[in-house]
Amino acid sequence: MSDSESVKARMIGPHGLLVRYGFVILIAAFFVFFSLYTSSFLNSENLMNIVEGSAILLILALAMTLIVTMGGIDLSVGIALDFGAAFAIVAMKDYGVAWYFAVLIALVGGSLIGLLNAFLVVKLSVSPFMATLGTFFIGSSVQRIFTNGGGPISFRRVDQSYRDLAVGDVYGIPSEVIIAAVVLLLYFIVLERSIIGKRMHAIGLQQSAAAIAGIKVKHYLFFGFIVASATCAIGGVIGSANLRMFTPLAGYSYLLDAIAAVFIGAAIHPLGRPNVPGTLIGVLFLGMVANGLNLMGLDFNTKDALSGIILVLTLALAVMQKRLR
Amino acid sequence: MAVAPAAIFLLLLVYLGVTAPNLLELSTLSLILQQSIPTAIVCMGLASVVMAGGDDVVSGGIDLSIPATAVLAAAIIADQLVNHGSGLAVALMLGMGAALLMGVLNAVLVVTIGMTPLLATLASSVAAVGITKVVTSSRRINVDHPLIVFLRDAQFHGISVAVLLTAMLALIFYVALHRTRWGMHLQAVGGSRDAAEVSGISPKRLMAHSFLIAAVAGALASVFLLARGSGSTPGSEENLLLEMVLATFLGAAFSPRRVVTLWGAVLGAVLVSLLSVGFKSIGVDVFWTGCIKGALILLVVASAAYSNKQRR
Repeated sequence: MSDSESVKARMIGPHGLLVRYGFVILIAAFFVFFSLYTSSFLNSENLMNIVEGSAILLILALAMTLIVTMGGIDLSVGIALDFGAAFAIVAMKDYGVAWYFAVLIALVGGSLIGLLNAFLVVKLSVSPFMATLGTFFIGSSVQRIFTNGGGPISFRRVDQSYRDLAVGDVYGIPSEVIIAAVVLLLYFIVLERSIIGKRMHAIGLQQSAAAIAGIKVKHYLFFGFIVASATCAIGGVIGSANLRMFTPLAGYSYLLDAIAAVFIGAAIHPLGRPNVPGTLIGVLFLGMVANGLNLMGLDFNTKDALSGIILVLTLALAVMQKRLR
Repeated sequence: MAVAPAAIFLLLLVYLGVTAPNLLELSTLSLILQQSIPTAIVCMGLASVVMAGGDDVVSGGIDLSIPATAVLAAAIIADQLVNHGSGLAVALMLGMGAALLMGVLNAVLVVTIGMTPLLATLASSVAAVGITKVVTSSRRINVDHPLIVFLRDAQFHGISVAVLLTAMLALIFYVALHRTRWGMHLQAVGGSRDAAEVSGISPKRLMAHSFLIAAVAGALASVFLLARGSGSTPGSEENLLLEMVLATFLGAAFSPRRVVTLWGAVLGAVLVSLLSVGFKSIGVDVFWTGCIKGALILLVVASAAYSNKQRR
């Protein structure tokens, strides 16, 4: 078959160029548009705002990258974030736990969500989509029950050290950026530079072949879900430290952006695989769009609609690019 | 093991029937049927998509945007009728037109561009929810148009007209999906895309059809949503999504071959509504109801997965 030739033919010429570099062009177009349209977009302070505002999304998107690498999907990342925030705030407010223990407790709270997912996927062979969707519904419901309908639990007198996890800085670099960067680095090393990552990619490419090759697929899936959810809980710690409260169901708003970032990242990868640097680019792109739309002074509802439409178009473009590879 | 979800459901129903004696009275049952209408109709749409795409949730057919589509269409119709003084025809045309556009969008994303249905419909539903917010400014719109009131209150020989209309719609869907050549082709594509293609069926065209049908179902569900809520309520898509997924896959557990069928989906919708009303009447907190439904979803899919494993 001349399949590869026809692909090559499509890659050459203006149309092919547009599809091949479509995403780079899209990023550049948005950047130029926001720079020209709003006076406050293009300065170092605002660009730092974008990075800072993307920290929590990056952490969730990295967790999602881990699961998608293994061929699954995790719709409960937002729930794990909420649980992390709730466990930390409640531990400090009602039990007077020291802030560093509260962080540990947050990780445990997030891991509970991962444990439920892992049990459903690995032990009961439920597909990751249905399993994490069920976890999502149950987790949302539990939060409503716990807060009597979704009222936030605030803790104004939270330890300053805890608060500094979000609003502090080290040599002028916001601490949430540092935390996100550390998570990014760890994920990069594990997923892109270690045998663990290679095996996870093998599981994602063909699970049965990976099992025959001697990889303990169930083992990896089980701990993968737990690690991913614990990672999301870090996002919950930052969020709750920033607002000094637990806001029920706050994590939901990150879900689709996290999925989108992973797929954008996969689209710009030469082999079309989910990958850590690609996810970072996807997150920064989404952060830039959110920031730019904010600066344009649009009303809240219009902004929501526009970002939804941009998301659909971006994903469509990303998948189109991926298919040409 | 495969009958476990059905058995547990029946046990729950028996329990509810005993603890809430008036649940099984005729008037309550009629209310339950009326409550289930929007869910039943979006389930018909989802059943079509799952039949055409196969029942693998990730790579197969699924349309998570039907509830958001229905809520968007309901918002547009309500907004046109109340805030713009449009006639009924104009309002319905705009609302249902928007729903159909959602169907076209899904079909293009999945069939032409090649996105997985899950990702495509998740993204398009976010867009639909965003547009709904713009249309309604995130506010509730009360509608007292004669048609909506008629759908809410009218009875024919003691049976709600809306229920009769939905039953007719289900019959039309049933004949189309299970009794026509086109329906057989659609199911063949869902069974095995390659085998269907070899035998001269165009899987792409039929999958595109299924997304358009789902959008039509969303459009039709919108008027019944307006009737049920006496207006448009932003944010109602989340519960509708939960009930749609639960009912459709629960319905599969009732079918002999454990596949998604039209009657299974409709029956599932009625049972889910029966549970909601039943829990409410014995005084279970509404937040717990969501938790129980989520657990039921997991139970249904876990036992389906388990019986699959046994068969191999």
